[in-house]
Amino acid sequence: MPAAPRSNRNRIILIVIIIVCVTVVTLYVKESDHGPLHKIQNFFLDLVSPISNAFAKIFRPIKDGVINLFHLPTLSKERADLQKQVAALRKQSIDSKELEKQVDELKRLLHFNEGQAEFETVGAGIVGQSPTNWERLMIINRGASSGVKKYMSVVTDEGLVGRVISAGSRSAVVQLVTDSRSSIGVRDQRSRETGIVEGNNNETIRFTPMKEDADLKVGDIVDTSGLGGTCPPGVAVGKITKVSKPTGLTRVVEVKPFVRFSKLDQVLIVITPEPESTILREAQ
Amino acid sequence: MSRNRQIFLGTCVVLAFVLQISVTPQFKLFGVQLDLILVVAVVVAVQEGPIPGAIIGFAGGMLQDIASPQVMGSSALTKALAAFLAGMMKDFFMTYSILLPVVLVFLATIFEMSMHQGVFVVLGQEQLPPFRIGTIFISSLYNVIAVLVVYPFMRRFKFPVKEESITLTRPSRG
Repeated sequence: MPAAPRSNRNRIILIVIIIVCVTVVTLYVKESDHGPLHKIQNFFLDLVSPISNAFAKIFRPIKDGVINLFHLPTLSKERADLQKQVAALRKQSIDSKELEKQVDELKRLLHFNEGQAEFETVGAGIVGQSPTNWERLMIINRGASSGVKKYMSVVTDEGLVGRVISAGSRSAVVQLVTDSRSSIGVRDQRSRETGIVEGNNNETIRFTPMKEDADLKVGDIVDTSGLGGTCPPGVAVGKITKVSKPTGLTRVVEVKPFVRFSKLDQVLIVITPEPESTILREAQ
Repeated sequence: MSRNRQIFLGTCVVLAFVLQISVTPQFKLFGVQLDLILVVAVVVAVQEGPIPGAIIGFAGGMLQDIASPQVMGSSALTKALAAFLAGMMKDFFMTYSILLPVVLVFLATIFEMSMHQGVFVVLGQEQLPPFRIGTIFISSLYNVIAVLVVYPFMRRFKFPVKEESITLTRPSRG
């Protein structure tokens, strides 16, 4: 039998590649989060995260060095600004301690109980980031074996980082608040207006208030509202940097997150009892 | 292609994958990161032809899909097709200088990123990632910088195929 021409063989290889890819994509999209392809993905995430972590540790000092080199001219100005901020915060801290005492005293007098449970947290290290330009994700070195579940919130002392979207046994994937698929319930600390912040794969996130004429100003602090049940209320998200006049149906309110995602090293995962079921309950 | 060259290309794609998940996210340029797997696939397509390029793109993309939280198979498809087209297009350029992979990587990045967006649309993703021309352009330029290093490196390891020796024997008498 004569051998098939080379161009025919090439065509067959290309068609096989396309068919395999389309089949895998279809199966992956159709199956649930506990399906075999998702399980394979979680297994490989667990496998790859220590390698990724080791490389990240090697390259982080180089990266920091390069960043510092670029920031060298502005460092002296930044230092002066920070010193001013420290002085202002010190004064604010003294004032707030006084207020705290007054509030405690008043609460005691009124027998006021907030009924807010303290949230348990688990510390985790960042071991990887999304290898594509389409998502803003991070991989952490804690997973289901440490009690981490899907939809749990991830925070730092600076504020909200994001939400767990997938958990393997020893690693988990965190969707940052800046990811284009992320949306979180928030409120303006000053005016108490509630709304949703959505990521845009950008440095800033977009705040959509519930009320069209909500009272929002540049410089307002935005924190989590706690609506939805998975994210604890009162976690700082960011500061409003731009409020545009309404054009069309919506108005653009930009929020700059407090967390510096490029410098993240350690995070805390807020352990909530059944985050997934809370989301489903809310949806139903 | 010699066996040594095949082993070398396999090693290259694994190395590109390891660097892609660990090193390139550390060095973002204007929020954009390097796509080392695509660069390697296009370079293979230029040096070996469209099908080896597509296979490398498929293998690298699939590794990336499996070990990262994204739709499995999407990168494998886009990278394989981008490398295949780059391999097909190289015949249209009458040059074998470094300019050839530079132009092809630039075009392949644009194609790959646009196609990735297309896959998201076809899959009916509720919230599509924003499609920004600027991001695609910066990503293409960033990949072009990478190809200036990757192409000469991969060209050094050509491993020419050994021709089988022919033994001439004297015809037997009688």
